[in-house]
Amino acid sequence: MIMPHREFEITIEKDGHVEVHVKGYKGRACHDAVKFLEQVVGEVKSQRETSEFYEPEEHVQHRIDHRI
Amino acid sequence: MGAVCILAPVVIAAWPAFSSAVIAAASSLGYQVVAEAVEVAAPEEQRETTTSVQLEIERSEVVTNSLGRDQRISVSREGITVTFSRDLRGKASLCVTGEGFAKEELKALGEELSQAVVQQYVYQKLMDEMRSRGFVVVEEEQNEDRSIHMKIRHWEG
Repeated sequence: MIMPHREFEITIEKDGHVEVHVKGYKGRACHDAVKFLEQVVGEVKSQRETSEFYEPEEHVQHRIDHRI
Repeated sequence: MGAVCILAPVVIAAWPAFSSAVIAAASSLGYQVVAEAVEVAAPEEQRETTTSVQLEIERSEVVTNSLGRDQRISVSREGITVTFSRDLRGKASLCVTGEGFAKEELKALGEELSQAVVQQYVYQKLMDEMRSRGFVVVEEEQNEDRSIHMKIRHWEG
């Protein structure tokens, strides 16, 4: 079974500027991930959302049927 | 997928984190640490052929301890000495000195080293924060242009 994962693909340029590709986050969770990066690294100079951003957030439901 | 963003670094560090970034950056460029001190050293008498350039790291703040004592660290390579310290406004500054060098040469060397310090600071801070949140580095490489590329992953469940 393959578990879903979240990934940051990061390039730190030689002058310290950072480019990050945030993967596996959708909607609000993606905003929170970018906010976290802003707190750690510094000022966001540019940002663009990718297709995954607009996908609905996952809601996992478990249903257990008990049959006797 | 997700988002792509570009961030400009801001260095807000206590002295230990800042000097650790200086040491890492300096060694990656072939410099060696010659001195790290708390006290302000009296400036050495300079020869006429010694040139010096003062630079500062933009968007930086070195947080001092409550005593506000001055701290500095010096590194050197092939006759060039670079001393990092906290200036009166709290910014990280560096003084590059060398005998027989033009000011422009020293300025270029100082900028190269100060950029590497910022890069190392960002690298160390990102790593610390990511690891504390359970992320694992799955790929890391230093490119020829001295940029650092890495993939950091977190498995759910």
